[in-house]
Amino acid sequence: MLVIACYSNKGGVGKTATAVNLAHLAAQSGLSVLLCDLDPQGASSFYFRVKPAKKLKEALFFQSGKRFSEAIRGSDYDKLDILPANMSYRDFDVFLSQMKKGQTRLRRVLKREAKDYDLVVLDCPPNISTLSENVFLAADKVVVPVIPSTLSERTFKQLLAFLKEQDNTGPEKVLGFFSMVQARKSMHVNTMARMRIDYKKRMLATEVPFSADIEKMGVHRAPVASFAAGRAGSTAYEALWSEIQAGLDG
Amino acid sequence: MTPPNCQTIFIKGDLLEALPAKALGKLQARQSNASDGEAFRVLDCFSGSVAKSGGLLIETDRRLVLYTSDGAVAEQDGTGASAIFVTDLAEGPVKDGLAKVSPLRSLIPIAHGRMSLRDISVVDDEEKAHARARIRMLASDGASVILASVVGLRGYDKAFDGLTQGLKTLESAEAIDVGRVAEILAPDRLRYEPKPVVSIEDGDHAYDVANRIIAAYLPVVRINEPGVIEDYDTEFLHDYRVALRKIRSVISLFKGVYSEEETLALKTEFSDLMAVTGRLRDLDVYLLEKNLYFDLLPEALHPGLSLMFRKFTTERKAKHRALVRHLKSATYVKRIGALEALFAGDGPAAGPEAGLDAEVYASRLIWSRYRKACKTAATIGVDTSDDDVHELRIRCKKLRYLMELFGGLYPEVVMGGLLKPLKKLQNNLGLFNDFSVQQISLQDYLDGLKPDAKGGYTEQAKSIGALIATLHDRQVEERGKVMANFARFDSPEIRDTFRTHFKGKAA
Repeated sequence: MLVIACYSNKGGVGKTATAVNLAHLAAQSGLSVLLCDLDPQGASSFYFRVKPAKKLKEALFFQSGKRFSEAIRGSDYDKLDILPANMSYRDFDVFLSQMKKGQTRLRRVLKREAKDYDLVVLDCPPNISTLSENVFLAADKVVVPVIPSTLSERTFKQLLAFLKEQDNTGPEKVLGFFSMVQARKSMHVNTMARMRIDYKKRMLATEVPFSADIEKMGVHRAPVASFAAGRAGSTAYEALWSEIQAGLDG
Repeated sequence: MTPPNCQTIFIKGDLLEALPAKALGKLQARQSNASDGEAFRVLDCFSGSVAKSGGLLIETDRRLVLYTSDGAVAEQDGTGASAIFVTDLAEGPVKDGLAKVSPLRSLIPIAHGRMSLRDISVVDDEEKAHARARIRMLASDGASVILASVVGLRGYDKAFDGLTQGLKTLESAEAIDVGRVAEILAPDRLRYEPKPVVSIEDGDHAYDVANRIIAAYLPVVRINEPGVIEDYDTEFLHDYRVALRKIRSVISLFKGVYSEEETLALKTEFSDLMAVTGRLRDLDVYLLEKNLYFDLLPEALHPGLSLMFRKFTTERKAKHRALVRHLKSATYVKRIGALEALFAGDGPAAGPEAGLDAEVYASRLIWSRYRKACKTAATIGVDTSDDDVHELRIRCKKLRYLMELFGGLYPEVVMGGLLKPLKKLQNNLGLFNDFSVQQISLQDYLDGLKPDAKGGYTEQAKSIGALIATLHDRQVEERGKVMANFARFDSPEIRDTFRTHFKGKAA
């Protein structure tokens, strides 16, 4: 079992779209995939039309194996299951900070309950918190969408600095990629050029463009490849998945 | 990842248009991917091994779909050919599921008709699927059958149970076993039984038993004819010959049951029927064992073998054409028809032993054959000629035929205990014989070649020479095992059993 976290400490960068599309493409490539929606807003559950997990409240998420397993739902796509979100996840941080060995709880629960999957994709809420620390420890790779703007550049820098300070994990897990790219904006072009130099080892080659198709995922409530295959948004995620997969295999 | 729930329900009846609403609760059924009127064929080998293993293989639009008894459905591309060997299929789940089908038997169409397909999704108010079903209705001229495969999605067990129950409890639904689907779609198709069970009752006369065995095996001969003509696989001709041989062995081994004149006439008749098939069967065996021959020789000698096998393939085509002409000829149809009529009617003229009690008669024959085999075996030593080993083989074969033909008269455990070591000895003797016959036949082939460079004579001669030498080694090896195998068959316990059950049964 490998774990990919789709994470950003900044909101609105295309994190959920990334989690949904990567999970879908990984399942299509033949892997058995569990997409865990850790964001209390439940956007990735929404994209897959899966209703919130009523019974999997925060304590049960980390404690009761049976409840975790029972909350998993089959998606409409082969080999792809979803662990839907629950509103109580907004209190994960408080809860985790009060628990013993609070930083490794997520890693342990996934090892126990999701061991039969080839890949677990985590859709994470946008903040740096005890939950994020859990995510960094549990994940083999942390995929970070970065809009090529000053603010995003800043939060990316903050994230790497934060990880550098951690004892049991580090910035080498981070795979950043440019998201919502608008090539005609000179700021996007310049930021990308600068960041590719500054964060040479941390940035993937794939650029996901700003795309109406990706935005329409909310209307279709489906991964982009299922309704706009072969178009720019869809092929960009395919390239992203290939690049990440090559990294995982390596 | 937990594998999804999957169950296939087989129902005799027409296509359901609507599912009972109560089974679905708040959920709704959505239909998609509907198609009608597509042609399908049910495929199985002639001996029905797919159905016997509780499976159903259908082909539609060059796609193979295999339903198995555990409710699973596998799909992969087919070949579209009229007869397919499992080994010819591309790797895939259907091929894996057909692993038990003999590589010698081809899959042939045994039923056909038109198919309708419906995909059903059971969805909630957000159009999220909770369960799915793929429903195929197969309709032949005689009947129709519904194959409904329900697939559950993890975490939605209620919908899976509801849909499954809903399908099971449909009005007029009659659940059937998947292995029976082909039989329902093609009710007139005869079931193939290569070894029909012939019942022998207390008090039956030897004459009745002989007639009954022959009457049971003649249909086996006839039912294989179309497969031989179509040349679906080599086993049609093999079974055709085995059935004829069984009949001929009854005629020659059941001495005195038919009049001398009748015995002679029937023996000639059935030997003639066998004779026209002999060379074709030999060629089949060569071609089936082609790889084995190549494995026996180093690669440098392969070109000569390739030339020989090319000639065998050409000769086989000609021999097959000739056999087809024979089987379709008015003379053959008349002769075999007359034999069927003879054994279905009054039977041949009776001989002096006709009225003997079957068990007394059988015991006497078996005891006598057993003694003859032992007598020959007693003479076998290191220096015995090959001819004597051949003689032992023939005697054992006759003994085995008799024991099998009259098997029903004796306790199964007794016959089983005797036949097991006998079969082992026969396998040994059979291989000895095969290696010997193959050497002679290869030598004959070589002698028949024109020694000119054009036809690759030298190449073939080199390969065949090496092959004969290798086969000779094998023959010597098998011969070395004969004495030990006979000793195993000739144990004091086996001698006692033969004596107890077969010696001196009074009329």
